[in-house]
Amino acid sequence: MPIHEKTLIRPENLRVQESLEIDGVDVSGHWSTFIESRAITDYNEAIEDEVAALPGGEYIHRCWQCGSCTNSCTVNAINAEFNPRHWIYLVRIGMESELLRDKEIIWQCVSCNKCTYACPRDVNPEGVMKSLAHWLELKGHTEKSPAQHFDEVFAGQVFATGKIEEGRIIRAFFARTGQALRQDWLMVMAKRLVRHLPLKMMIAMGIGTMFQPKTRGWGRARAAIAEHIAEQKARERKALGLTD
Amino acid sequence: MSKPVLIVGGGPAGLSAAHALASVGQSVVMVEKEDRLGGAPILSGYAKLIPSGEWARDAIGSMVARVEQNALVEARLNCQVNEFSGAPGKFQAQLSDGSKIEAGATILTTGFTHFDSINKPEWGFGTYDDVVTTTQVEQMISTGGGVRCPSDGRKPERVAILLCVGSRDRQIGREWCSKVCCTVSANLAMEIREELPDCHVYIYYMDIRTYGLYEDLYYWKSQEEFRVKYIKARIAEVTSDGQRLIVKGEDTLVKRPITIPFDMVVHAIGMDPNVDNMKLGAIFDVDLESHGHIGRGSNYSALATTSRAGVFVAGAATGPETIDDSISQGQAAAMAALATLNQNIGAA
Repeated sequence: MPIHEKTLIRPENLRVQESLEIDGVDVSGHWSTFIESRAITDYNEAIEDEVAALPGGEYIHRCWQCGSCTNSCTVNAINAEFNPRHWIYLVRIGMESELLRDKEIIWQCVSCNKCTYACPRDVNPEGVMKSLAHWLELKGHTEKSPAQHFDEVFAGQVFATGKIEEGRIIRAFFARTGQALRQDWLMVMAKRLVRHLPLKMMIAMGIGTMFQPKTRGWGRARAAIAEHIAEQKARERKALGLTD
Repeated sequence: MSKPVLIVGGGPAGLSAAHALASVGQSVVMVEKEDRLGGAPILSGYAKLIPSGEWARDAIGSMVARVEQNALVEARLNCQVNEFSGAPGKFQAQLSDGSKIEAGATILTTGFTHFDSINKPEWGFGTYDDVVTTTQVEQMISTGGGVRCPSDGRKPERVAILLCVGSRDRQIGREWCSKVCCTVSANLAMEIREELPDCHVYIYYMDIRTYGLYEDLYYWKSQEEFRVKYIKARIAEVTSDGQRLIVKGEDTLVKRPITIPFDMVVHAIGMDPNVDNMKLGAIFDVDLESHGHIGRGSNYSALATTSRAGVFVAGAATGPETIDDSISQGQAAAMAALATLNQNIGAA
């Protein structure tokens, strides 16, 4: 009879003594195999509060584990390991070690928001995924995701100038993520732009790239935005118990 | 003048029937085995009632006062029916105080008995002081003492409420859902969180049956406003590490065993048939249904009937019942009793 519990044994939970003798019997190697307990021995109520303190995670406590988010999930359709319901549960009972096993998958949410419309309790699972990825990053468990880098470059430029200048964004994003500027798809796009874009717009783009114009009177707006962001970040770090 | 209606049991259903009958001029004799009227909500010291949020002593207390002040209702306390005979319009009852009364009809509002948690020893009641029942928590709240660990009077920092204690359990011959415990537990969890905001409350459930309008008013509200956590697990055992209680079971959603420390464990105890039902069934010659409650004669064509003509039943005597439905059923039984009296006017 197959032992179905075998699927629950994880290699990292196996303990084997290379050299062990008990009562004169040599039990070295696999004879001394011991499986570490899977029992959950405590709840950690702090993690839910921390995730809830980050934007998007506010309604995580509403979840009743129906699975509507996972059922509707775009990414789950491709990768069954991508399971928002499961992660929401782990956050709620505070199973950090279990959560961290999936840290390289969690950030892969594509924000299609199908879960948002499926959720009967308005948990806003897409927001929770965003918050959770953010939590992993702030806690130092994960590197910034490419999407996070793009967001920062994009938003950083808007905050600095009040304008978006695509050429600069692409260059900064590639530089941050260690990608070569000469990408095949980008070259094709550039050639076609040169061929089809009206001359006037072409010149405007060139000036924009070179001189990085600002929205008139942007200084005050920039200061206000910077202040708001600083407050927000300080609040988030405090909620997570982080000190700068 | 017609004979009185005999009402057996002075809880919400009986009080409701008595008031209904008296309000149309019908005399009533109410027999209550305890020393006061009010039934379980008063005798067990319930706190705030569902769904009104009124204190039991105010809400049910006013029903008691209304009946006690009515000259048409004669309450016999510390009293039971020993013998019962006759037919509709001419029943005779021999009471435990030695008196005999005649009655035109009878309503059994004999209620239920709280499940005794000692019958589930693996959940620690009777072994550990800090394992208590929902009834005890109701009393902690209604007496104003607050929710405290009985062992040393400390404020609990983590409370587990175990649902279906004495319900839905073939092992102990109780296959019914006790109907009210989910809602009661959600309500108590909110009470605990309100009094002790730093205390985390976990509810271990198999299903949540906060039916009808209780869904969002109790279940959702407890989660959304009071941050009560619900874990789908039927607990295997409650033990202790010498300091705190240890709750063991399987967290079914992550397929992992749990051994979680708690300061207090609350059993959401179910509603058993009244422990006296075998005796009551024999005395009044009414059939009990398969679980041991007083059986209904008809579900549709006649109200509140039993297997014996002229003997009616209402409230939790028929099975797990809410207070407000017991009150409705009491009125229905009163109507049925009146119909019997009218049909038997002139019966010797």
